[in-house]
Amino acid sequence: MDPGEQQVLVVIFDVSPVWWGLKSLQGQAHITKFFDSLIIFMNSYLMLHSDNKLAVIASHSTKSIFLYPPPQAGNEQNSSEYGDCRDKHFAVVDNAIISSFKTLMSDGCEEKDMRSDSLIAGSMANALCYIHRITQELESRERASSRILVVKAADDAASQYMSFMNVIFAAQKEHVVVDSCVLGQDSGLLQQACDMTGGLYLKVPSQYAFLQYLLTAFLTEPELRKDSLVLSRTKSLHSVDYRAACFCHRCLVEVGFVCSVCLSIFCQFSPICSTCETVFRPSSLVLKSRKKRKVPSRSSSPCTDASIK
Amino acid sequence: MLIMDEDNEKAYRWEGDYEKTWEALREDDSGSLQASIDAEINKAKKRRLLKKQRKVRLGMMRHIFIVLDMSQAMTDQDLKPNRALVVLKVLQKFVENFFDQNPIGQLGFIITRAKRAESLSEMSGTSQSHIKSLMKLSSEITATNAKSCTGEPSLQNSLELAEKTLKNMPSHTSREVVVIMGSLTSCDPSPIYDTIEHIKMQKIRCSVIGLSAEVHICRHLANETGGTFGVILDQTHFVDLLNDHIDPPSGMATDSSLIKMGFPQHIPPHENGKVSMCMSTKQFSVGGYYCPQCQSKYSELPVQCEVCSLTLVSAPHLARSYHHLFPLPQFSEIQYARYVHQGGREQNCFSCLKNLQKGSESSVHQCNKCKTIFCLDCNVFMHVTLHCCPGCINSRCEI
Repeated sequence: MDPGEQQVLVVIFDVSPVWWGLKSLQGQAHITKFFDSLIIFMNSYLMLHSDNKLAVIASHSTKSIFLYPPPQAGNEQNSSEYGDCRDKHFAVVDNAIISSFKTLMSDGCEEKDMRSDSLIAGSMANALCYIHRITQELESRERASSRILVVKAADDAASQYMSFMNVIFAAQKEHVVVDSCVLGQDSGLLQQACDMTGGLYLKVPSQYAFLQYLLTAFLTEPELRKDSLVLSRTKSLHSVDYRAACFCHRCLVEVGFVCSVCLSIFCQFSPICSTCETVFRPSSLVLKSRKKRKVPSRSSSPCTDASIK
Repeated sequence: MLIMDEDNEKAYRWEGDYEKTWEALREDDSGSLQASIDAEINKAKKRRLLKKQRKVRLGMMRHIFIVLDMSQAMTDQDLKPNRALVVLKVLQKFVENFFDQNPIGQLGFIITRAKRAESLSEMSGTSQSHIKSLMKLSSEITATNAKSCTGEPSLQNSLELAEKTLKNMPSHTSREVVVIMGSLTSCDPSPIYDTIEHIKMQKIRCSVIGLSAEVHICRHLANETGGTFGVILDQTHFVDLLNDHIDPPSGMATDSSLIKMGFPQHIPPHENGKVSMCMSTKQFSVGGYYCPQCQSKYSELPVQCEVCSLTLVSAPHLARSYHHLFPLPQFSEIQYARYVHQGGREQNCFSCLKNLQKGSESSVHQCNKCKTIFCLDCNVFMHVTLHCCPGCINSRCEI
């Protein structure tokens, strides 16, 4: 590790009430167990270096909330008063996270919050803004390597595709690595995010393995992962699906038509773009094939002409 | 800054009244200038925001030729260490930013020196090859101590060279030329007005960035073809002028059509262990993207298939351009005191937790849709980089 480099880690924990509720009813997973594992992970991360910075965001189904640093004392997050007394530092961090998590859980949720998909994109946008601020405050002194760890439970929200993509590109531009640890079903969006930012994508099979995965895979910083035999192999294992879904039938296409004005994707040629209502000239391919048909028909007998028609 | 940027009709700055620029800075009670410096910095940030206005129709598929003056005039040392090296360094950044914002656009470079124009790198959509040739040129200049910058530039020859390629581009794409001129003269074989007329007919938009002073023919060229003309003040202003060309100009391409494109799937190395040749770099490798039409392999996207000339892109490439079409609306700025008066209770910026009361700025920025408040830095970050509002995503507002 470069000694002058500061680590910034933002952990996003998906606390979607519907998913966790269903799981605990089925007796498969309990949110508190996972939360405990996360706290152990965060403590180990803070233990690696005294300068390591941490933020935790809980991603609820209709809001995303900073668990740490607490909003009241946003600026005094890493003051040096706990510098030589690490247990106290841990205690401060843990207490802050646990108490804000408790308030979040005891607040309950309303009818409109009952969504089965999660708001990861919003939390990631918040995380990027936070990282942007931290790195700007540091910039004069040292460089920072920052990453986001997404612990995702619920399914992807299809309506968030555009904002999610924007977030990924912003992360790529800011050199922020996105790691994801998926508890539920595979997420195509997060797979793309990890692939494009050079992060790690893992799906955890059971809750007993969760802490193991966190400590072995996600505690290692991205720079060091390429030297690790296991981690460098896992990265290239997944083939990421970069095919596009057409706007007209929502089906995945290999060869499609793209509107030159708004870049909407269609699976077949249509004269008017449904997104931006542009009228197209028939494409050169269509024109050419028509001409080819007409030329022989003129020279040949009317009989063949009719048959072509 | 010269007023000429805004309007042709207006007078030059030296014809205007005497300005007392130092009076803008005022000391506060303790005699410090920090407050007014902060105010100036904030003003500059806001200017950057206001530039991003909603555009109606964009030329999404852009083809730009950048004409680089490499004549004697570029050895001038008014930019340190000399003009040529500074321009090449800034251009490398520009290439990266350009492809970041226009993932399916294409760039090409032409250099002009010793009355001749030659192609530095052909029109292509991959940033690596351009950066490599720019770096090669700048190391050549350093090695020869700028001896390779010789003679006079030729505006006409370079425009004709650019036109030769651009006129073959399909009509739905934009055709642009950006000339970076260090010299005040141009050595042309025939009347240049004919060439300008010709270029105008081909709907090629020419912009000129002058490094020394305004030249009539350059301004004429820019005005006739609908481009912009600017003379740099210093290096940062040069970067600003060049970066104006990163965002697509509105309403350039008049024709629109549906373009056939392929979305190849990435085959990872361990699934298909056979070694095959990448058609664009001509190197052997394992795994890659296979053209869905002719099965030729490429190691990088976007690319135009060499075999069947199908444009190959991935879905994220197209998605990257969407923020031009659905830009984030401007936030409204309100005084913090007024915000509190209206019943606002938030003390911190929603997304970075910065305390809004303590900060140097006394105003907050509010998204008009979801009514969330942000600090100025986050506002700029969202509009320039993120292109979406975290508050809106969280409250599931329709964007």
